Amino acid sequence: MSPKVQFIREDGLYHSFCGLVSVGWLYQKIKDSFFLILGTHTCAHLLQNTLGVMIFARPRFAVSLLEEGDLSASQPDISGQIAEIKREHNPSVIFLLSSCTPEVMKVEFEGLAHTLSTPELPVLFVPASGLDFTFAQSEDSVLQALLPFCPVAPPEDKRVVFLGSVNDAVAEDFVMEAARLGIPVAGFLPAPHFSELPPIGPGTIIAPLQPFLPKVASQLRNDRNCTILSSLFPFGPDGCRAFWEDLAAEFGIKVDLAEREAAAWDRIASHTELLRGKKIFFASDLLMELPLARFLRACGAEIVECSTPAINRRFHARELERLEGVRLVEQANFDRQLRDIAIHRPDLIISNMITTNPLVGHGLVAKWGTEFAFMPIHGWAGVNVLATTFTKAMRRHATLDPLGLDPVWTTGMMPSAPGDVIPLTQ
Amino acid sequence: MRLAYWMYEGTAHHGVGRVMNSMRNVHAVFHAPQGDDYVTTIFTMLERTPSFPAMTTSVVSGTDLARGTIRLPETLRQVEEKLHPELIVVVASCSTILLQENLEVTAASANLDADVLVYDANPYRMQENGAAEGLFSELVRRYAAPHPLTERPSVNIIGPASLGFHVRHDLTSLRRMLGTLGVQVNVVAPWGASVSDLRHLPAAWLNIAPYRELGAGAADYLEGQFGTPALREAPIGVQPTLRWLNTLVDTLNEIGARRNGPVVRMPPLTAFSLDGMSAPSAVPWFARTADMDSYTGKSAFIFGDATHTVGMTKFLHDELGMPIAGAGTYLLREAGWVREQLRGYVTDAQFLVTDEFQTTAARIAELRPELICGTQMERHTARKHELNCMVIAPPTHIENHLLSYRPFLGFDGADVIADEVYTTCTLGMEKHLIDLFGDAGLEHDDTVAVEHGDVVTKTVEVSAVVNVASAEVAASEAVTVSPGQSVIWSADAEAMLKKIPFFVRGKARGNVEKYAREHGIMLITADVLLTAKESIGA
Repeated sequence: MSPKVQFIREDGLYHSFCGLVSVGWLYQKIKDSFFLILGTHTCAHLLQNTLGVMIFARPRFAVSLLEEGDLSASQPDISGQIAEIKREHNPSVIFLLSSCTPEVMKVEFEGLAHTLSTPELPVLFVPASGLDFTFAQSEDSVLQALLPFCPVAPPEDKRVVFLGSVNDAVAEDFVMEAARLGIPVAGFLPAPHFSELPPIGPGTIIAPLQPFLPKVASQLRNDRNCTILSSLFPFGPDGCRAFWEDLAAEFGIKVDLAEREAAAWDRIASHTELLRGKKIFFASDLLMELPLARFLRACGAEIVECSTPAINRRFHARELERLEGVRLVEQANFDRQLRDIAIHRPDLIISNMITTNPLVGHGLVAKWGTEFAFMPIHGWAGVNVLATTFTKAMRRHATLDPLGLDPVWTTGMMPSAPGDVIPLTQ
Repeated sequence: MRLAYWMYEGTAHHGVGRVMNSMRNVHAVFHAPQGDDYVTTIFTMLERTPSFPAMTTSVVSGTDLARGTIRLPETLRQVEEKLHPELIVVVASCSTILLQENLEVTAASANLDADVLVYDANPYRMQENGAAEGLFSELVRRYAAPHPLTERPSVNIIGPASLGFHVRHDLTSLRRMLGTLGVQVNVVAPWGASVSDLRHLPAAWLNIAPYRELGAGAADYLEGQFGTPALREAPIGVQPTLRWLNTLVDTLNEIGARRNGPVVRMPPLTAFSLDGMSAPSAVPWFARTADMDSYTGKSAFIFGDATHTVGMTKFLHDELGMPIAGAGTYLLREAGWVREQLRGYVTDAQFLVTDEFQTTAARIAELRPELICGTQMERHTARKHELNCMVIAPPTHIENHLLSYRPFLGFDGADVIADEVYTTCTLGMEKHLIDLFGDAGLEHDDTVAVEHGDVVTKTVEVSAVVNVASAEVAASEAVTVSPGQSVIWSADAEAMLKKIPFFVRGKARGNVEKYAREHGIMLITADVLLTAKESIGA
């Protein structure tokens, strides 16, 4: 069906976060949930440093801390902590996340979750360890765990279920937009509450909102025999138009959103003017890179390289079509990327939190990709935020005085490199 | 096993990263799953590093484990080829240490020119400080070589490390004082030191090791092995700084006398001031000014690492005359030392040792002190209870990593700390006027008050290390909810309460509710409030 798009697989991301970070938005999205990580001090330290200080307003996530004495037990006993969570937080569902250490210990998570689970308070196993999962990939695991709890819809129930967590305001936009086009909506996976999971059956059209959910999409297809919309993801005017037109077509509704798309491009003209002809390099790890690169290409930018932790030929088929000719890399080697960055000198690098400041220190303009995971960039209403998020760093650097180019201004900022900055070209 | 929400100390591999990112031309390699690389973020974001921190994660994936692949030798070769470090320190992670691999053999198979040290940091027995201190001591033992003493009196400054609390500023303050005395700095380590600097450590006459957490072991070793005496006190506050300077001068002169070296003379104290002609610190006079009368009786609670908890408690008590409501540390292995240092300052009942933040938070809620000196964690607890807090120890937040000169050590540090105490505590004379005449137009709603004390809420997009939850924070904290509220307020009582200035309102509310509970009153009316105010004298 789609052309066989070529991509390169390298030997791994040297700079990335593990799957546990998706807890940061999922606990806020699913308001009656609790996320329990069976892990170590490392997991707790990771969460507090990447997700911010989490003790505000009693966060609904915590680490069941494996200490030295717990390492010999093949199946750790966390029933005490489950009881504590129940007492203190009274959630409707507990997600039990795996991490690297219990994976190495070969803790049997399915069984553990099963023994702790009760009809009143299900405990669901979510694979998320850094041995196998990067960044948002664990949302895929969470949704797979939720799927059995979605009621089975009868075959005649032909409605859309939007797949992937978006904030409530964005969800509202999608419901209203669907109503405008006459598309009936069954709900969202995940829903804001465990009890509100949408019914899914053979008549259901699943419309993926997030590009990091290939596994749950395939499970939905297998378990519920529903249709997975194959379109662009709803980012940018081009993505939104394709998404809504294709989704409407699934319901036999023919709409032409050409004018809507043109108007949206018009509104962000000041941004696309800036992006046109610019060289952009993706070295981030958030798994949204493909649709973001596709949008930038439609803006007229040149994508020097688009790397992402994982590419799925089926789930990403339509995005891959639009990216034909772009250098695509899965699990990029960051050192190789640095050498290429030194050769190509891109105008903008989409980086991650770990690499952004050092890249800027090398005289480049870098924007951390992480922000795209937390900004309302979906749908028509998100177009402006999406475009602005790309151009903001470029504009800011352009308005600053040129002193930053002289290494004297970074001298002594870093004890391991006083007086000089390691040059990119060696 | 226990439920953990927040850790005071970082992990062992973070401690290793702190030492390696401090030193020049060395590198840390973490034999770990990809996610363990998160520690790099703490450096790039909090210290805003303009280059890549000296650490690489040699990724271990589930597939690697299944296939028996080990990428470590290839990673080591890539690091050497790219950066040519003199020393590479390899550490396992909390997960890979369970694999019981022989990393010595694996690392050796890479055949590097660099010196490779496989550091045995067991993450289940060591945390950040233990691992950093252990590694640094090991490096000093490995490299420090016999060396004749320098001609002129000289010192090493041992202990400042990347992500240490205000260490860059402390280092400047120490250098300034040493410069005023005419004492040379031989080596600073690990901050900015190379392997060859470590070799030259024994050339100094004296080691300055002000941090209990890092450098103490190295100072002990250098004293035992090379006979270099060490100055281990932290000069926090004016009096401790004076004593520290006198000890420093006396010790150097004793050594000088034995070798007929030059004599170090204590200059007039004004020489230590920034302009060279004023008091070296304004604190002694400041503490005596009329303004400070309103501080009389304000109590403080101090909680942090060992060095800063001890230094701050003594400073607040001895130099600003504040009563100490309590003090403590999260460094369990330093608890004995801290307890000993604070004898006479706090009773056993007032002394707190815990690494669980909930325990500290409960103590704060119970004491409601006028000033809390703590970590980032206590700052949040304080905000929840509408109390005043200044951060005096790690873990920190990006807003503790400011650009201006803000040392804690030395005369300069004393001024900085006193300013911070002064601006953190509620107003002095102005407060009396407000109490007398109402809010005087100063009424803030609680949202504004929160933003005022919290730069974070405005910088959602900038402070990524800590940003994700911040929008939620502002929302959740804007609502004033009395903890454990079981009594009800009538509308007229609420209206009366509103007339109390916003920054003491939380305390007043708590006191009145306590009074009501003690007297079995469930509904607080205006009448109850008035009676309570009289009874408590609030």
